[in-house]
Amino acid sequence: MKTIFTLLIGFLTFSISAQDATVLLDKVVARMNSVKDYSVDAHIKADIPLIKVLPVNATLYFKQKDKFKVVSKGIAILPKQGFTDVNALLAKKNSYMAVDGGTKQIGGVNANLVTVIPTVENSEFVLAKLWIDPKKEVILQSEITTRSSGTVLVDYKYGDQIEFGLPSTITFTVDVKKFKMPKSVAADMHNTDDKAKKKDERKNGTIIITLSDYKVNKGISDDFFKDVKKKD
Amino acid sequence: MLLKNTYNEFVKILAKPRSYLGIGALTLLIGVILFAMKADGSSFISFVTQSFEQTLSFNGNILNGNLIAFIILQMLIIHIPLLIALVTGDLISGEAAMGTIRMLATKPISRTQIVLSKFIAGAVYTLIITVWMGFLALIVAKWIFGSGDLIVLNSDGLVILQEADIFWRYAMAFLVAFLSLLTVSSLSITLSAFADNSIGPIVSTMAIIILFSIIGSLDVSVFDHIKPFLFTTHMASWRSFFNDPVPMARIYESIVVLVAHNVVLIALAIFRFNKKDITA
Repeated sequence: MKTIFTLLIGFLTFSISAQDATVLLDKVVARMNSVKDYSVDAHIKADIPLIKVLPVNATLYFKQKDKFKVVSKGIAILPKQGFTDVNALLAKKNSYMAVDGGTKQIGGVNANLVTVIPTVENSEFVLAKLWIDPKKEVILQSEITTRSSGTVLVDYKYGDQIEFGLPSTITFTVDVKKFKMPKSVAADMHNTDDKAKKKDERKNGTIIITLSDYKVNKGISDDFFKDVKKKD
Repeated sequence: MLLKNTYNEFVKILAKPRSYLGIGALTLLIGVILFAMKADGSSFISFVTQSFEQTLSFNGNILNGNLIAFIILQMLIIHIPLLIALVTGDLISGEAAMGTIRMLATKPISRTQIVLSKFIAGAVYTLIITVWMGFLALIVAKWIFGSGDLIVLNSDGLVILQEADIFWRYAMAFLVAFLSLLTVSSLSITLSAFADNSIGPIVSTMAIIILFSIIGSLDVSVFDHIKPFLFTTHMASWRSFFNDPVPMARIYESIVVLVAHNVVLIALAIFRFNKKDITA
């Protein structure tokens, strides 16, 4: 009897916390869905082991639910996951369940952790942890784990577009353990200094994107995104 | 007299069909590379970036004229010495084979000046080949593929150089590439001074380049002391201009080694030609 009672209490607690998490997540999704499309100027600064690149300016374009395009004069490096994936996942309400995971202090804000678990089989997503500011109803931090790209940690800072849930700075921390140089191309037999060089052993890289001059819900044609490669 | 004889030597080079063979072969080779890159360049790029692309996406015009020029330079720097040696390896021995060397030696010009004029004519031909390669690789490739940032794969990672920071690197890289090819030209002319037929110096030049390249690529400690003095070790020093930061000390070292090779080879050719018993 005692065991049944404990299980019942546990189940009720889980249901209530799941309900709270779903309600909070719904508010965040509603804020996200208020943005039909946007374009924004981006200053991209990448600090990634094995890659030397100077900061690049680009313009990012987004349209619900997962159309995304980068227009850059130079070569801009962005994480493969993290921009549209949360939107794409959260857009299908029946494809996931949300679970309350407690709280954590992020930049002086007591953020609620909502763990998003996919309910469909063979989903690209394995798990998404979202730390949400319960008052402003925006995501402060996310940790997205996918089958193909591993885990990407994203920090969000907000400016004047907080009403749309659009950040002013996004910091991606990407896993670079899988990076390998193709030997046949990299082999530089005339480079005699290689043995002495200390290799960059860092396992994570960061990409900081500063976003400014948002143009929200101005309307972007679907044709504009047509030449973008589909993600694997 | 030196300049006049140099002019004559250059006219002789222009009169030989094999001189155009080199330029024709170079044009064909670069044409094939440009066609291949236009047809399926993206798969070549993904081969370079594939280990990064699981996590990162590279946005922008990656397959541009700057990258194509880099690929062309990297591919052809191994093959162009053959095209150079084909012409310069014949400059002295060809005269011996045809019997015109005795007449040349009767001219009111010293033997040293004869050799020097051949070296200068060979250098001009090498310069033409280098400039032609630069034109096709950089100008034509940019015309076909457009311009943009350059993504370079080095042994220690990817370097992405901004478009505005590239031209001076190519200018310097082609200068150093010219110095490398000039060393090949000098080597083949020097070998030519020791031979009485055309094939010997050409084949010997290529044999030396292949031998030195193999020694350079063997990761065996016994060769570690020799490698820095082989000219083939420094033939790819043009590539250093695409590192960030540019290893200037290493480039200066390569320039010194290549210039030293040229000086020694020219001196050896002059010595040999002055001592040569011209009987034919």
